[in-house]
Amino acid sequence: MLVFTRKRGEAIVIGDGIEVTVLRVGRAGVRLGVAAAPHVPVHRAEVYAAIRAANAEAAADAQSLPALLARLRDDG
Amino acid sequence: MSDPTPLSVIAFPDGLPGFETCHRFVLVHPPGLGPFTIVQHADGPLPAFVTIDPLDVHGGYRTELTDADRARLGAAGETPLLWLAMVSTRDDGKPTVNLRAPLVINPATMTGLQVISAESPYSLAHPLRAA
Repeated sequence: MLVFTRKRGEAIVIGDGIEVTVLRVGRAGVRLGVAAAPHVPVHRAEVYAAIRAANAEAAADAQSLPALLARLRDDG
Repeated sequence: MSDPTPLSVIAFPDGLPGFETCHRFVLVHPPGLGPFTIVQHADGPLPAFVTIDPLDVHGGYRTELTDADRARLGAAGETPLLWLAMVSTRDDGKPTVNLRAPLVINPATMTGLQVISAESPYSLAHPLRAA
């Protein structure tokens, strides 16, 4: 992992023009600004991880779908 | 059949969290499936998701799209969109629905994405049916 020391107002640039700026440093957290092209998704890591875990749990193999759907019907 | 890409294939340019390399999905709605729609990876058996219209689970359900997400879908303000929430069937409990991060598809462009928002009043595991 690359480690940088940055002061308020300073930034790093990632790849082709993604710029991360330190906006504010406080006791409780660091406020960051991310400037990226609109097609570049930017997410909080823990939000993305939670959705990834939910997706993994919901994902089924196509072969197991009939049994899964039967169970959903039976539960109703 | 000059077009090699069937119209029923929906492009997910960013994939889905955990399935970032899966960019093409098809919707399957066999008879007798009730309210459920299968969202199936077009290029392999995995992953397939059982989904449901979030409005069928939670009356008044509403999730706002960001301008960036609208742009990704090629959707103007009034474009009708298809919303689908993933159903998770647990061995040890009741099925739940991910209302927090629904799939949204623009039928006009056949493009879809999964909504990933930090602020949402909805749960990742909402009960499919009221207890």
